[in-house]
Amino acid sequence: MLAFVIQRIVQSALVLLVVGLVAFSMFRFVGDPIDNMLGQERTQADIDRLRSQLGLDQPFPVQYVKFLGNAVQGNFGVSYRQGRPVSDILLERAPATLELAAVSGFLAILIGIGLGVFTAIRREGFAANAIMSLSLIGVSLPTFLIGILLIYLFSVELGWLPSFGRGDTVRVGGWSTGFLTESGLKALILPSITLGLYQMTLIMRLVRSEMLEVLRQDYIRFARARGLRERAVNFRHALKNTLVPVITVTGLQLGSIIAFAIITETVFQWPGVGLLFINAIQFVDIPVMAAYLMLISVMFVGINLIVDLLYFSIDPRLRADRTKAH
Amino acid sequence: MHRPIAAIALFLGLTAPVLAEEFRWAETTDPQTMDPHAVNSTPVLGFLNNVYEGLVRRDRDMKIEPALAVSWEPIGAGEGWRFVLRQGVKFHDGSDFTAEDVLFSYERASSEQADTASWFAPVSEVRVVDEHTVDIMTTSPNPIFPDSIANWMILDSGWAEANNAARPDKEAGNHATLNANGTGPFRVTAREPGLRTVLEPFDGWWDEATHNITRAELTPIQNPATAVAALLSGDIDFINPVPIQDTERLKQNPDVKVIQGIEARVIMLGFPHEAGALKFSDEVSDANPFADPRVRQAVAHAINVPAILQTIMRGNAEEVSQLVSPAMRGYSDAHAARPAYDPEQARALLAEAGYPDGFSFGLKCTNDRYLNDESVCQGITGMLAQVGLRAKLDAMPVQNYWPELRADNFDMFLLGWSPGTFDAEHPIRFLVATPDEEAKLGSWNFGGYSSARIDELLPLIQSEIDETKRQAMLDEVAGIVQDDMAYVPLYVQPLIWGAKANIDLTQRPDNFFILRWVTVN
Repeated sequence: MLAFVIQRIVQSALVLLVVGLVAFSMFRFVGDPIDNMLGQERTQADIDRLRSQLGLDQPFPVQYVKFLGNAVQGNFGVSYRQGRPVSDILLERAPATLELAAVSGFLAILIGIGLGVFTAIRREGFAANAIMSLSLIGVSLPTFLIGILLIYLFSVELGWLPSFGRGDTVRVGGWSTGFLTESGLKALILPSITLGLYQMTLIMRLVRSEMLEVLRQDYIRFARARGLRERAVNFRHALKNTLVPVITVTGLQLGSIIAFAIITETVFQWPGVGLLFINAIQFVDIPVMAAYLMLISVMFVGINLIVDLLYFSIDPRLRADRTKAH
Repeated sequence: MHRPIAAIALFLGLTAPVLAEEFRWAETTDPQTMDPHAVNSTPVLGFLNNVYEGLVRRDRDMKIEPALAVSWEPIGAGEGWRFVLRQGVKFHDGSDFTAEDVLFSYERASSEQADTASWFAPVSEVRVVDEHTVDIMTTSPNPIFPDSIANWMILDSGWAEANNAARPDKEAGNHATLNANGTGPFRVTAREPGLRTVLEPFDGWWDEATHNITRAELTPIQNPATAVAALLSGDIDFINPVPIQDTERLKQNPDVKVIQGIEARVIMLGFPHEAGALKFSDEVSDANPFADPRVRQAVAHAINVPAILQTIMRGNAEEVSQLVSPAMRGYSDAHAARPAYDPEQARALLAEAGYPDGFSFGLKCTNDRYLNDESVCQGITGMLAQVGLRAKLDAMPVQNYWPELRADNFDMFLLGWSPGTFDAEHPIRFLVATPDEEAKLGSWNFGGYSSARIDELLPLIQSEIDETKRQAMLDEVAGIVQDDMAYVPLYVQPLIWGAKANIDLTQRPDNFFILRWVTVN
C-alpha cells in the first residue's frame, strides 16, 4: 500500500514538472505582455527597460527555473496587470469558483445518479426514454450556448434571475460566500446548471449502462431468487457494484468542472479563477497564467491520486492482485 | 450650493421609492490601475477622468476648458505657459490643492517609471511662482501644450508621499494602484480589480454637479453577448461597446437606446517602405514593389471603402482621406478627397510600375483589436485580388501583432491610430516622421517611411503659434502623405454605446465615459 502511494506521488510530481514546462514554453506564443503595460506613446527604450525589469529578456529555461524556484516557496510572482501578488489574487477568486463547482458537482452527482438508476430500472418506460433523449442535448450542446440560452430565457425574457455576476457576497473569515444572501443564491442557479449539465448527463448515462450491465449478472438473479426485495437488490447489490467506474469518472469530472468553469465563468462574468485566467491570457499576464495552470494540474494529479486510492478501498480484487504480484 | 441640492435629493429619495440614481455600467476592459500616470490607455484615463482632474479638461465637444487652472496664457514669445490655479479646491481626503501638487504631479508624470512621460517631452522646467500660479517652460514655443495635457491628472503630493506612491510602479504596484485621491466629481469607494469599482459623488467638489447619480458601479464584462443580455434584462444601465451585429436589434427595442458616434481612430494600411524585398511573396523575392508610390496608389484605388463600410461595418463608420478624422484639430480640408475606387486605374498603375500581372504578398492583421478587423482584412484581400494583388492574410491577436510589426515581419499591415492630443501633429510625430529613437520620433512608423520635407516641417508645426501658418504647414504635410500614399487611410471607426432608455449621457469621440454628464430619469 505504502509503496503504491509513494510510487504514485513520484509519478505525480513528474507529471507536474512536465505540465509546467509545456505550459511555460507555450507562453511565448500568447504574445508580448510589454505592449499592454505601456501605452500608445511608448518608445523602444521604454520597452527594453520594462522587458529587462521583468526578466523577459532572459532565455526561457532560466525563466522557467526561476518560476519553479519561487513557486515551490509558494511565491507566484506579481500580476503584470494588477500589480499585486498572484497568490493574493488567486485566493480572492478561488471561493467563487469553488462554490460554483461544488454546487454544480453536487447537482450533477445527485441528479445524475438518480436519473441513471431510474432509467436503468425502468428502461422500457416512456419517462426513461424521454430522459435519455433529452440528455443528448446536454452532451451535445456546447457550454457557452447553453449559458447564453439560459440567460436569454430566464434573465432577458422572464426577468427571474440575474444575467451575470455573483450577487451580493458575505465575508466569513477570509472566504467570500454567496450562499448566505438571496441575490447570491439566485446568481448561482444559472451558472451551476450550465456548468453541471454536461457532467450530469455523463454520470447519468454511465450509471445507467453500468447498472444495466450489473443487473444482468448472475448474482443479481440469485439475489432475486433468494427473495430479496427489489429495493435491496437494486441499491445494495447492483448500485454498489456500479459505482467503481462511476467514481473514477466522477472524480475526473470534478476536476474538469473546475477547469471547464472557464467557459461558464466567461459567459456569466462569474468572478472566479477561470475568468481570471481568460483575462490573464488577453493581457499576457504570465505570472497569473502560470500559477493557474500549475494549480489546475496539481488538482488533476491530486484527484487522480485519490481515485486510485479509492479503488483500493472499494474493489477488493485490486488489493488481492497487488499482494499476489509482490 | 450643494447642501440644498443634497437635501432635495434626500427628500425625493425618501418620498419616491425608486432608487433611480444608482447607476451600473459595463465596459469590456477593466481599468488596469487607479494610478493616472502608470498606464496611458483609454480604459484607465477615461475612468480616472471621473476621479482625478487636470489643469484643463475637455468639454462635450472636445474643446479645452478650465478645470484646476482658471486661466492660462503664453509666457513672453512662447517660452512657456503660465497657469493660474483655482482656489479652494480640495482633494477627496480633504487636503488643499496647491501649486506644489502641480509641480509634484509634473515630476511624477514625467518620470521614467511613468507611462505619460511623452506628454512632457517639450517641457524644460516647471516653476512654482506662488501658491496659485505655475509656469511651465518649454524648450520651444508650443501652441498645443494646453491641449496635450488634458489627461494629465493632478495627484496630492502629501497623500502620495505618505503612502509611498511618489512614483508610479507598473510592475509591482503601490498604494496608488488600488486607491485614488483626486479632486474630481467622484471618489473611489470600492475597488476590486476585474470585478467591480464603486464611485460615489464627492460632496466637496468645486464645480457644480450636473448629474444625479448617488452611486455608480463599473463591472467589466468581456463577453459581448453577456453585456447585451445584461442591458436588455435591466441588470446594467449602460454598456460600451455594443457589438456591431447587435446594433440593429437593440435599436428596435424601446427599452434601450443605442448611442452612435465617430471615434477619433483612423484605420489604415501600412507598407514596408524601407524593406529591400518582400518577405511573403511567391514571385517577388528580390524587390519591394511597395517602395514604388504607384503600387501604393494602386492599392488605394483597388479598395472599395464604401462597400466595406456598408457590408462589414453595417453603415457604422465613415470614410477618411488622411491620418486624422475631420473632428481633429489640424485636419486638412484641402485633402478631404480619398482616392476613388477604380480597379482599372489600379491595374494601369501596377502595369506602369512593372507588375502587369500583380504579385503575391503577406498582409498582417489583428483579429481582436479594432472593430471587425479580421473581416475588414478579408474584404480587402478580396478587393486587392481583383487587380492582381494576391494578399496572404495572416490575422492574429494583438498581443502577437506588435512584436511581429516591430520585427518587420510584414509586407502590408493594418493599423488604427487615435491621436491622444486630438491634433494632426500627433500621427505625424508617431507614424510619419523618420524613426529616430533619440528624438522619440516615428516610434510607430514600422515601415520606416521617410520624407525630408516632413521631418523639416514637424518641429516648425510643433512650435508655430499662429494658427493659419500652422494649418498651412499641416496642409502641406497632408499633401505629401497623400501624394506618396505613405499609408492608405480607410475609415474612421465608430463608437457604439448602449444605454437604458431612461439614461441621458454625452458621448465623446475619445471613448471616455464621463459620469458627470449622466442623468438617470
